[in-house]
Amino acid sequence: MLNKYVASGTLAILGLSMGLHAQEFKALGRTVQVHGFATQGFLHSSSNNYLTMDTNSGSFALTDFGANASTELTDKIHVGAQVYDRNVGHLGSWRPSLDWAVADYKYKSWLEFRGGQVKTTLGLFTDTQDLEFLYTWALLPQAVYPVDLRGENIAHIGGDVTGRVKVKKLGSFAYTAFGGKQPSDMRGGFVYGIASAPTTPVLNGHMTRLSSYGGTSFGGDLRWQTPVKGLLVGSSFLAKDLTTKGTNSYWITKLVVVSGPYAKYTKADHTTGVYSEYTFRNFRFDGEYRRQQRETSTTQIKDTCKTSGVCTVSNNASPSSYDYRYGYVAASYRFAKWFEAGAYNSRYIAAAGTNWDLPTNHIYDQAVTGKFDINRFVDLKVEGHFMSGNGGAKVDRGFYPNDNNGYANVTDMLVVRTGFHF
Amino acid sequence: MNDLRFNHIANRLKLALVAVGLVLLSSIGARAADVKVIANSSVSAASISSGDLQSVFLLDKDTIGGGHVLPVLSKGGAAHESFIKTYLGKNDSALQAYYRSLVFTGKGSMPKTLSSDAEVVAYVAKTKGAIGYVGSGASTEGVKTLQVR
Repeated sequence: MLNKYVASGTLAILGLSMGLHAQEFKALGRTVQVHGFATQGFLHSSSNNYLTMDTNSGSFALTDFGANASTELTDKIHVGAQVYDRNVGHLGSWRPSLDWAVADYKYKSWLEFRGGQVKTTLGLFTDTQDLEFLYTWALLPQAVYPVDLRGENIAHIGGDVTGRVKVKKLGSFAYTAFGGKQPSDMRGGFVYGIASAPTTPVLNGHMTRLSSYGGTSFGGDLRWQTPVKGLLVGSSFLAKDLTTKGTNSYWITKLVVVSGPYAKYTKADHTTGVYSEYTFRNFRFDGEYRRQQRETSTTQIKDTCKTSGVCTVSNNASPSSYDYRYGYVAASYRFAKWFEAGAYNSRYIAAAGTNWDLPTNHIYDQAVTGKFDINRFVDLKVEGHFMSGNGGAKVDRGFYPNDNNGYANVTDMLVVRTGFHF
Repeated sequence: MNDLRFNHIANRLKLALVAVGLVLLSSIGARAADVKVIANSSVSAASISSGDLQSVFLLDKDTIGGGHVLPVLSKGGAAHESFIKTYLGKNDSALQAYYRSLVFTGKGSMPKTLSSDAEVVAYVAKTKGAIGYVGSGASTEGVKTLQVR
């Protein structure tokens, strides 16, 4: 299995670097551009397994790649599509998916319409989070940009209204309003997380398997390129209405199991965020803070099944409320054309209302990175992570019960990642 | 004891302020651009504001004086470095990252990039709406030179 991962990743990167450069060709009298990227990573952690990989033993199961083609239909209309594929531990499973497919009409710089499957503009990097070559980091701050949950916010099937307005002496304002349906990532961390807790029958416990999830999402993003050179500040908002469906099993005894339908409905799911970025010469600083408030109601086999002897499917008596807080601060410096280094501090709180210091209520991650730009198209990153906390059962990201036989409170991790793009 | 500590902090602050001042002064000195902005003869404007020039090359704006324009870049060299630093406020790696972020999210295409001043001039001369830049000593036969306001 290890050989398969290494071979696939290495072949992908070598094959691309040997044979491909940015391509242009003519089709129906129009110039079509083709671009692509591929990355391969290795992770080794001191204790907990991370991101559904066997990182404790050392894992090469971090591979992804994508390719796109685009053209200008007219001076004002741009169309294109990108395919994306990944294998990250138990996620992705090498199944290619449509990453984006858009038609874009630019009326003026201050008014542009985009429709199709569109990358979501939310904070600094939601839409570009897969593009490792853009960043200093081997892994973006996982509190805000979790690799396992990339499918949750990365795109919507719908449309954007966007534009940029320059205001004399005040810099410029870029806005985006978006809405549509959230594509379901059935091979992502959300489904894996629900299915992995628990994976084996538990007396008087539920086991859930999802068959579908999805719903609508809408929101907006406003960013201000301030008159202070290099300083950008912004704010974003996202609201979702998701429905999750599947089957739910409840073990009364080791041999007797009752199964029924499972559904989780969103009553409210709002994320608000603020962010800032400052670049000065070779320095770059950025940071984000988000708060997500969610309220859900679940329909499943009643917990009183065994004691009452009546096994019915019903709504939970009261909806579940969640209040997540997360963010990061990062700084990097380019020392030479071929080398830059940086560090970030990423923080995720699972339940803002309870003690943040509990390891079962947070994941704090301090990372230090060196990035080597081997040439204009190939890079290599070496990154150290020093994590505290694991979120326990409250956290549905990073550390999963299925991959860990109990949790350690501290996880140190080495990440080496190389990427190629054209 | 407290006075000594206060003086020490004050001296450090003074040093930091001097350093920031020196950095700001040096960045002002680096603004002199030895490049010419050129355009295809179909571009009606005779001049362009530095703000519009930035918007065109950052793909925010695609019209000047009511006509469609297409930015054309150089792959490297002194004129390229000077142009992007002066008018776009970015170094080459930041500019490439910016374009790639658009290309890989479906929000734009990579602008035409050519290897030399001569290639840029030749391409701009034959391409309707093209707008580019070359070193101040380059021959600009067949294209018009735009004044930057």
